[in-house]
Amino acid sequence: MVTVIPKKTISWGSHVTPGKTLVICGALFGLLLLVIVLMSLLGSEKLPAQASVCALLTLGKAGCGLTPDQSAILLDIRLPRILLGAAVGGSLAVAGASYQSLLRNPLAEPYLLGISNGAAVGTMIALVFMGTHEWSRPLMAFSGALIATLLVYRLAQGRTGATPERLILAGVIVTTFLSSAIVFVTTLMDATRIRSFTFWLLGDLSGTTAKLLWLALFIAVAGTIVLAAHARSLNLLMLGERDAFDLGVEVSRVRLVVFIVASLLVGSSVASSGSVGYVGLVVPHLVRLSLGSDNRITVPAAAICGAIFVVVADTLARTIIAPRELPVGAITALIGAPLFVYLLRRH
Amino acid sequence: MLEATNITVKYGARPAVSGVSLSLAPSEVTTIIGPNGAGKSTMLRTLNGGIAPAAGQITLDGRSLNSYSRRAIAKRIAVVAQEADLRFPVTVFEFVLGGRYAWASSAGWGWETSHDVEVARQVLKETQLEELSDRLMTELSGGERQRAVLARALATEAGILLLDEPTANLDLAHQAMILSLVRKRCDSHGTSALVVTHDINLAAEFSNHVLLMKEGRSIAVGSPDEVLTPSLLKQVFAVDVLVDAHPVSGVPRITPVHEAFR
Repeated sequence: MVTVIPKKTISWGSHVTPGKTLVICGALFGLLLLVIVLMSLLGSEKLPAQASVCALLTLGKAGCGLTPDQSAILLDIRLPRILLGAAVGGSLAVAGASYQSLLRNPLAEPYLLGISNGAAVGTMIALVFMGTHEWSRPLMAFSGALIATLLVYRLAQGRTGATPERLILAGVIVTTFLSSAIVFVTTLMDATRIRSFTFWLLGDLSGTTAKLLWLALFIAVAGTIVLAAHARSLNLLMLGERDAFDLGVEVSRVRLVVFIVASLLVGSSVASSGSVGYVGLVVPHLVRLSLGSDNRITVPAAAICGAIFVVVADTLARTIIAPRELPVGAITALIGAPLFVYLLRRH
Repeated sequence: MLEATNITVKYGARPAVSGVSLSLAPSEVTTIIGPNGAGKSTMLRTLNGGIAPAAGQITLDGRSLNSYSRRAIAKRIAVVAQEADLRFPVTVFEFVLGGRYAWASSAGWGWETSHDVEVARQVLKETQLEELSDRLMTELSGGERQRAVLARALATEAGILLLDEPTANLDLAHQAMILSLVRKRCDSHGTSALVVTHDINLAAEFSNHVLLMKEGRSIAVGSPDEVLTPSLLKQVFAVDVLVDAHPVSGVPRITPVHEAFR
């Protein structure tokens, strides 16, 4: 049985301070760097460890003793994919943590609410109708995510506000509706592309461009900073919109910021890697369990832990049945779905 | 000083409050009493800008309430709502520190200063919660949780407290405790408090003024002695009551007289 409530053994009147946040996030960031190096050594092609670490640290500039082929595998194939995994994991975890606080719902998650599907529809429309413009994909993904967000939010609002169950039901409706939209757009594609799209839909980190990678990394970092800057407001929103309003939070402004930034995070992730599910559920939950619910620590820590989670999951996805690959979304769902069931039952 | 003049609030076409006036003076406790649906809570939420009135004026320290920012209002007016519905584990201390939000140097971003921490510890002492400060809110009893909600409101250091049925769901001892904490705050800090309650006897005990409301209208305003009379209470609640003096405090004591016993 998992311990639900974090055990607090800290002294009287403890609370999150800048120092505590820096130490924890610094340690987690160190762990992330370690994971990136370790995971880049794993794969169907065995690489010499020492030479690879040397090549990673110098970015291939110095002669570390790797053959050109090995160097290409490490720096041109594995490293970009790992960095993309980190960006996607961080983005989705931060988006999930923010949605959960804003909507006061531990079950809120971009994938389960249909927001990832909104971004997927946007991306596919861009691919089918605007294929020549590279930026059209993230832009359309963002628009799709934002529209899906607003739709779910509207649907979930009852006379007495949104209950967790109502929100999840609204998510199911939006998800299934958008799934049929995806099927519809798929029929407009030629048969040869359908297979790779199906793979992408389930979350696939292998097919991105350098520009999209940089965009995803930039949005992940910038989005985390913006949302962390609203963490204190989110702390109060987590306890109730009315309470937050009474205590001085400009609720509608914060809600708008979270909707837009979280949609950007989900949009850029989906545009570059499809719908990697459950990251936004698993990671914030584990972070809260071990570090408490203060968003000033939850948001940045979720970003780093999300990155670690997806990088490790993707390494599993590309190694367990090597040389063939699984979509990374299959691995994250395998871990996330049981946790979702557990959280739903506990509710 | 919070003054509301001729407030009318409408939900759609239906008026929830019609032409009610109210003023909250320093060191005084005012109570709103009335049947369910009388517009008491609506009136309270209108006073801190939570609901926009369809007509009427609200002034805070001589200036229109609308001219204040959200944070500026939150520094001056604190609300104690009915029990919070918590879905995330937060400690009592974190919860009470939330009351310091409006004092942060910038919106949202920000860390509590040592002064904020000091204020939070002070109100935890005041509400006798200091030993529970590292406990999770969800682990507290109803009475303790309601005290934490009050503590958070006190932590704002606002000069005006609005309390919406703060004693609902509490046992006898905790009801009196919450209201005597409010009474003490008003006496020691010059705070003004407005309490919406269904407990007429507690209102008589703790308040300086009573506002009697029915169907959105103000029926009577005045001291408990003036307002808590059998005829006015009969008019508002349609129930016969016996009013005598409390044997210890001397304030009006209200006892419903049920038909079966007449």
